[in-house]
Amino acid sequence: MSVEIICKGLAKTYTGGVEAVRPLDLTLVAGQTTALVGPSGCGKSTLLRMIAGLEDASSGTLTIGGAPAADTLARAGLAVAFQDPSLLPWRTVRQNIELALDLARKPRKAADIDQLIHLVGLDGFADTRPGALSGGMRQRAAIARALSTNPDLLLLDEPFGAVDELTRAQLAADLPGIWEARGTTTLLVTHSVTEAVTLSDRIIVLSPRPAAIVADIKVDLSRPRPSNLKALPAFQTHVDATFAALSHGVADTLPKAAQ
Amino acid sequence: MTHARQWIGPILALVLWEGFAHLFASAFVLAAPSAILLYLYENAGLLTRALGVTLANAAAGFLIGNAAAILLAGLAIALPRSENIVRALALVVFCLPLVATGPVLRILFGPGAGPQITLAALAVYYTTLIPLLVGLRAVPSDWLDLVRSYGRGRMTALLRVRAMASFPYLVAGLQIAAPAAFLGAMVGEFTGAERGMGVLTIRAMRDLNIEMTWALATVATAVAVLAYLAIGYAARRVLTEEPPVILAAPAAKRRNLFSSIAMVTFSTAAILALWWVGLDALNLSSFFAKRPDDLVDALFLAPDATQTRAALAAALSETLIFLFPGYLAGLLAGATLAMAIILAPSLANTAMPLAIALRSVPIITTAPLVVLLLGRGAVGTVTLIAIMVFFPTFIACLHGLRQAPGRATDVMRSYAASDMAILRHVRVPAMLPAFFAAARINVPASILAVTVVEWLATGNGLGALMALSASLSDYDMLWSAVVLTTLLAVLGYGLVGALERRVLQTYAPEQLA
Repeated sequence: MSVEIICKGLAKTYTGGVEAVRPLDLTLVAGQTTALVGPSGCGKSTLLRMIAGLEDASSGTLTIGGAPAADTLARAGLAVAFQDPSLLPWRTVRQNIELALDLARKPRKAADIDQLIHLVGLDGFADTRPGALSGGMRQRAAIARALSTNPDLLLLDEPFGAVDELTRAQLAADLPGIWEARGTTTLLVTHSVTEAVTLSDRIIVLSPRPAAIVADIKVDLSRPRPSNLKALPAFQTHVDATFAALSHGVADTLPKAAQ
Repeated sequence: MTHARQWIGPILALVLWEGFAHLFASAFVLAAPSAILLYLYENAGLLTRALGVTLANAAAGFLIGNAAAILLAGLAIALPRSENIVRALALVVFCLPLVATGPVLRILFGPGAGPQITLAALAVYYTTLIPLLVGLRAVPSDWLDLVRSYGRGRMTALLRVRAMASFPYLVAGLQIAAPAAFLGAMVGEFTGAERGMGVLTIRAMRDLNIEMTWALATVATAVAVLAYLAIGYAARRVLTEEPPVILAAPAAKRRNLFSSIAMVTFSTAAILALWWVGLDALNLSSFFAKRPDDLVDALFLAPDATQTRAALAAALSETLIFLFPGYLAGLLAGATLAMAIILAPSLANTAMPLAIALRSVPIITTAPLVVLLLGRGAVGTVTLIAIMVFFPTFIACLHGLRQAPGRATDVMRSYAASDMAILRHVRVPAMLPAFFAAARINVPASILAVTVVEWLATGNGLGALMALSASLSDYDMLWSAVVLTTLLAVLGYGLVGALERRVLQTYAPEQLA
């Protein structure tokens, strides 16, 4: 099922007065992949956590598929892949995936789990505990876990941070197909501009903290993305536009003398 | 080769022990290993029966105490508001002096195994509760977020994530609890049981039977070490990681003055109310069961109130004179040996397993031996307290020293810093949190040690006063001494905790978060 996410005046100020996210309006189109890009510490993850229901907003409203966010949470229609893989160390890769299915009250289907494990390139490691996996392999297991419940809304918080370049390219080629086929609405928080352009339909560029939207860039590239994507002039145009918006957002906050 | 070398030390020690025992046979202090073995062989039946009785009581107490600890820890996590009061009550009960609780329980239960089992349960619940609370809390927030992101609540997080994550901590607690249960059961037997290791220990000390005293100590030590190793072995078959070294809960969160005062007042009121209501509910004779108002009466209003206060003050000062030097000496010795081992790592291979095992030897076993060796004077008392404090401090400090961040030591090495410089600049600061955690948890332990020695050996101080007033049925004095000893332990614990927070602010601010 595709769901639309509507944030109206959503803001976060921490106790002590630190403003993490300025009141912002944002609509994530159902079935699309939206990337959130911005400098380190700008509040991207805070925004994602508010949408995930893990952080309370200081003000504003948030609806997921027309219902308050709490409902989606209650239906377990949401999955998050965290920055840290956060696999439970006493469970094998398969058991970690099964845990997510249990938590979401969904049936365990061995064949589906095997297929996901194959998709993220962990064949032969299904019964291995996270302690024996490399950082990148753990991250891939966490992605498989997030996909396992077939969520309406998939939130990815820099999920490729620890993954090596080759695997990253492979995942970037395979993953969008999965969430597109299922009509999953996806929000991807990333540092990497090229990753944002490769994976998403739309890029939201945020200013340094407190986060405010400085640009909303539509990624006008065909799906599925061609294998020579990065060689296309259109790809470079999108990358340049995103970089320009990012530097503009940063420049706005620098003292005059430094510009 | 290295395997063979490990045995050289212990064998040499045994040979020396045998030699000294024969050399000083006339002094009646040291039994030779051969004499101990002979005694064990000739009295195997007697010892086996006694051991069976004590083990059964210890096992019952172990089960009850740990079940209580697991329930209380679960309650504290499920209802976070209850955690402070659970902790405060647990600490106060842990600080109650065994010397006095033994006789009181004997009166409550009469003949039978009641006091032995209760004391064993009381001896273990705290050693399990605290690591378990640490473990239940020490779950990375991401794991809890994962559960929440699927719309599930606190109970699911407790059962699916926290319970499993705290399992290694539970094991660490149980490893210390097993010997503690044995100690509790033995103390219970001191208070007038008919059978058991405690009864034999009393008999051996009274008869000045050196072989028997040493043989009993050997059996009790073996039981403690075996229990420790057995739980560790069983756990390693289930666990994916080593049980962590946990000595004390991390220092409490920093509160402002107002909420600290409120917390202390609330806890004190809750404890007084429980004491009052508990005695009323049990419907005990007021001759023996003293309520808080009886103590106010005895200490301030009765005609002999001045004498009662003077006797308590005299006993307190006698206790403190030995307590301070013993406590500090134990802390210093533990930290020093840990640092020595870091500088000469080859020492660790033999010293570590020995120290871990000896940490669990009950004081009831060592007390008669130290008294035999060093006499009933100041040296013996101070040494015993120091021994009690030494092992936990040593293990904690060594753990802390090894936790030093690898990158920081690498930076030091890249400047060709000496081992000594690395120790001073990187490892010792990394050790301080563990050192202070050990110092805090050792306050009640050292008070237990001093009162036990006073009771069994020196005849001075609060320990002897409690034992004497119990035997004279002077229950006003007994209850007052119990309150004073408990207050001393709780206050000491709080003071070291405050010092610990100051240190953590500088050296490990993340532990205060």
